[in-house]
Amino acid sequence: MKRIRRLSAALTLSGVLGIAVLPAIAVAASVITISGATASAPLVTLLAQKYVKVKPHQVKFKIAQGGANVGIADVAAGRVSVADVSRDPLPSDPSGLKFYPIAKYFVCVVTNTSNPLSNLTQAQAQAIFTGKVRDWSQVPGASAHGTIDLISRTSSAGVLTTFQQLLLGNKTVSSIASQEPSEGLLQQKVKSDPNAIGFLSDYFALKGVNPVGYNGVGCSVANAVSGQYPGVAHFYEVTRGPASGASKAFISWIVHSAAARKIISTAWIPLS
Amino acid sequence: MLERLRHPWSDRRAELVLGAAACSVCLAIGLMIAFVAVRAWPTFAHNGLSWLGAGSNPEHQIGKMLYTGPHPPASAYRLSAWPLIYGTLLTSGLALVFGMGFALLAAIFLVEFAPPAVRRVLVPVVRLLAGVPSVIYGLVGILVLAPFVGNHLISPAQKRSVEYVVQLDGTGLIGAVVILTLMITPIMVALIADALNTVPTAWREGAVALGVNPLRATLAVSLRAIRPAIVAAGAFACARAVGEAVVIAMVSGGNAFTPKPWDGAVFLFEPLLTLAASILNNADALSAPAVGSTMNAFALLLLFSAFVLSLGSYLVKLPLRRYHGGLR
Amino acid sequence: MSGSSQVLATRARPRRSSLRSWRWSDRIVYLLAWFSGLALCLVAGALILYLGVRGIEYVSPSLLFSRPTAGVDQSQIGGILDPLLGTLLVVVIGIFIATPIGVASAVWIVEYGRPRWLARAVESSIEIVAGTPDIVIALFALSLFQLGLFGFLSFTASGGGVYGRSFLTAGVAVSLLAIPPVFLATRDGLQTLPGHQREGAFALGKTRVATIRRVLLPGVRPNIGTGVTLGMGRIIGDTAIVFLLLGVGASQRFDFQGGTPGLNALRGTGATLTSYIYTTSPAGEGNAPQKAYAAAFVLLLMVLALNAFAGFVAGRGAAGKMSFGDRVRFGAWA
Repeated sequence: MKRIRRLSAALTLSGVLGIAVLPAIAVAASVITISGATASAPLVTLLAQKYVKVKPHQVKFKIAQGGANVGIADVAAGRVSVADVSRDPLPSDPSGLKFYPIAKYFVCVVTNTSNPLSNLTQAQAQAIFTGKVRDWSQVPGASAHGTIDLISRTSSAGVLTTFQQLLLGNKTVSSIASQEPSEGLLQQKVKSDPNAIGFLSDYFALKGVNPVGYNGVGCSVANAVSGQYPGVAHFYEVTRGPASGASKAFISWIVHSAAARKIISTAWIPLS
Repeated sequence: MLERLRHPWSDRRAELVLGAAACSVCLAIGLMIAFVAVRAWPTFAHNGLSWLGAGSNPEHQIGKMLYTGPHPPASAYRLSAWPLIYGTLLTSGLALVFGMGFALLAAIFLVEFAPPAVRRVLVPVVRLLAGVPSVIYGLVGILVLAPFVGNHLISPAQKRSVEYVVQLDGTGLIGAVVILTLMITPIMVALIADALNTVPTAWREGAVALGVNPLRATLAVSLRAIRPAIVAAGAFACARAVGEAVVIAMVSGGNAFTPKPWDGAVFLFEPLLTLAASILNNADALSAPAVGSTMNAFALLLLFSAFVLSLGSYLVKLPLRRYHGGLR
Repeated sequence: MSGSSQVLATRARPRRSSLRSWRWSDRIVYLLAWFSGLALCLVAGALILYLGVRGIEYVSPSLLFSRPTAGVDQSQIGGILDPLLGTLLVVVIGIFIATPIGVASAVWIVEYGRPRWLARAVESSIEIVAGTPDIVIALFALSLFQLGLFGFLSFTASGGGVYGRSFLTAGVAVSLLAIPPVFLATRDGLQTLPGHQREGAFALGKTRVATIRRVLLPGVRPNIGTGVTLGMGRIIGDTAIVFLLLGVGASQRFDFQGGTPGLNALRGTGATLTSYIYTTSPAGEGNAPQKAYAAAFVLLLMVLALNAFAGFVAGRGAAGKMSFGDRVRFGAWA
């Protein structure tokens, strides 16, 4: 009886130790952790899904969001391997980061579909977004009435920086604007408020909201590709130091493979 | 070896093991206070007392901190936390005031006047309301209360009156206070009802025998007798309101604005933000050192206030204890 | 339900003086008291009804058993299986850690309790834990588990940064919430156990340890049950800790970490019902209020079931039932 008890105890102990040791022995697929821009998250998720099919059992992805600046802070701290960034590098970025462009996208001003504003000049856009003009009656071409509800992004957003640089002539969006933490939320706010105006990347701007033209050029894929529309920017994958290992393989697959190019072309603009 | 383990443990060994388990809780608390304080130190060091002051919008300041990289200069830590502190005090204070009134009335009703059938329903109701997760309150707040306020209570004229300062969209002070009151009232009802039950019935019956009507008897005798418990209930509820992050993040408008009472009715609709909600909102940016330090500073402030509240209720109860013997 | 039985205890009711003889102000207060009591019932009823109506619209067996899927239009696709399992997992881990610690602490305080200053410190710590806002616990736990020392509990990124977020870390953090109810329930139970039970055991020559093991603990089993149920209620309802410690990531699915089955779920991230509701509501990622309602309905059902169960467990109990106030206080900091 005692012997059986001793035996069973020894067996359980070795079993537990075995399970604990297993992780060390098991061949771990390399894991690519990504965080950053909400604008490029749909694209990167699709690319990751395709990549996992192309290289089965070799790579796993952990994709978080949070905004381009959160991604930059994370990758600089070593918490993630790659950051999705939707704006160009800034002088205030930590040193040592490498920006790899993967695709192009464009930013549109958007309003609610009940307010089919067709065009804004740069001056008008600046006046609205900096809070000088607060009423729809002062905006020609708008059919909404009452106070303009400005919807913007939180400061972690890369699209905000891009929007301010390209469409607002480097002016900053007024602090009156309500700040949404993601593209999806901004889109939702604009969809549900007839008096709202905001800005979105093209993936979100062309669904369910009214994209507004800029300086006479409509905000559409055709105009962005032809170069007439000024609000075109890059999505980057950012690593700390030159990309290496699994991250390098992933990024070069995005840039060079035909399958990736096909995915990018569905809703964005390939690099060349 | 296993044999020795099977033998009955000695008292000494059991005492040590059990004591170790008990001390692990002490250790966890000590560790928590130490961690939060150490990580909060940089932001206090760089700001000094002006940290508590008013100035620009703290959310914008935190936003700027995201750009500062792994080794931020001293200027990156600049923060004026007053709007958040004011928001916390405002929401918790108002919720406490309204909640206490409701709770006292409901507790008196529960203990004295409710017919047994109603009481049988009310007791589980209070328990349920107290146990509903805060995220459900927040969900109902943001999907039901905020649109209602935005569409039916806020007039375009009111929106226009503050349009150059802030945007009104239904989330704001009124939603936050209503939901917070709803959250803390059941707890206070339960605590006060409990305390009312411990008052010896003879005291109250004596008052009734002297010709006082039952309500007055309760108010004059029982309520006075349980004053320490009322204070304790209030402090407990206040601590909970102060620490509530999820509901505030969902229904308060998310803008670290200081609602101004002299704005009139619009004051109720203005957005605000509290310390706890700010921590929740900035949770994914914690890897930026300046942001992390600021968040820990908020947490330290919250810890401190919870501590002060429980200490305060203990101290208030102390002199009252003399008059009530063993009564709570 | 023990709490209610205390409240329902028959009090000798004086013959009600007719309302007519009361002063106006008293009549108003009386009416207000009735109003407050009924208002609470109404609010609770309205809440359950509203969530029930909106929830049942979207709750279907397929929703409960299918997993969240990625995609832009969340109103049509995906289910809540992962968050549901995630809630259960976090509760299990939390209770698994909290119960031994809570019961052991209570036993130590009541049966041993020397040195005195240490006993006071332990009691104060538990009071402090009970009073700490959960967001502070979440922040502390995140900072703690992002130290390299605890890398084994979650995931270490290639840059050397410890992710710090996983079911294990969330479970440990959440156990702090459950310790006060378990501790208090057990301690009250032990304190109200008749002294003669212990004395009888000692007279028979049993050691303290044996007495605890064979006499006292079985005697307070219902109290431990109540405490555990209250603790589970607190864990289920917690959002802040889970939100911070299970990843503010986008997937809402179980994200396995490492090669071992079982351990990889524990070390990986995911979602619970509460973080799922937050993320799908307009405050989080925000594009699926229908799912949020459905998840909220399921969550409310779980809370209701737990409440009923707590009442049931306590009702069968013997010594030292927790008072109504204490049960609400320690089961409700959610």
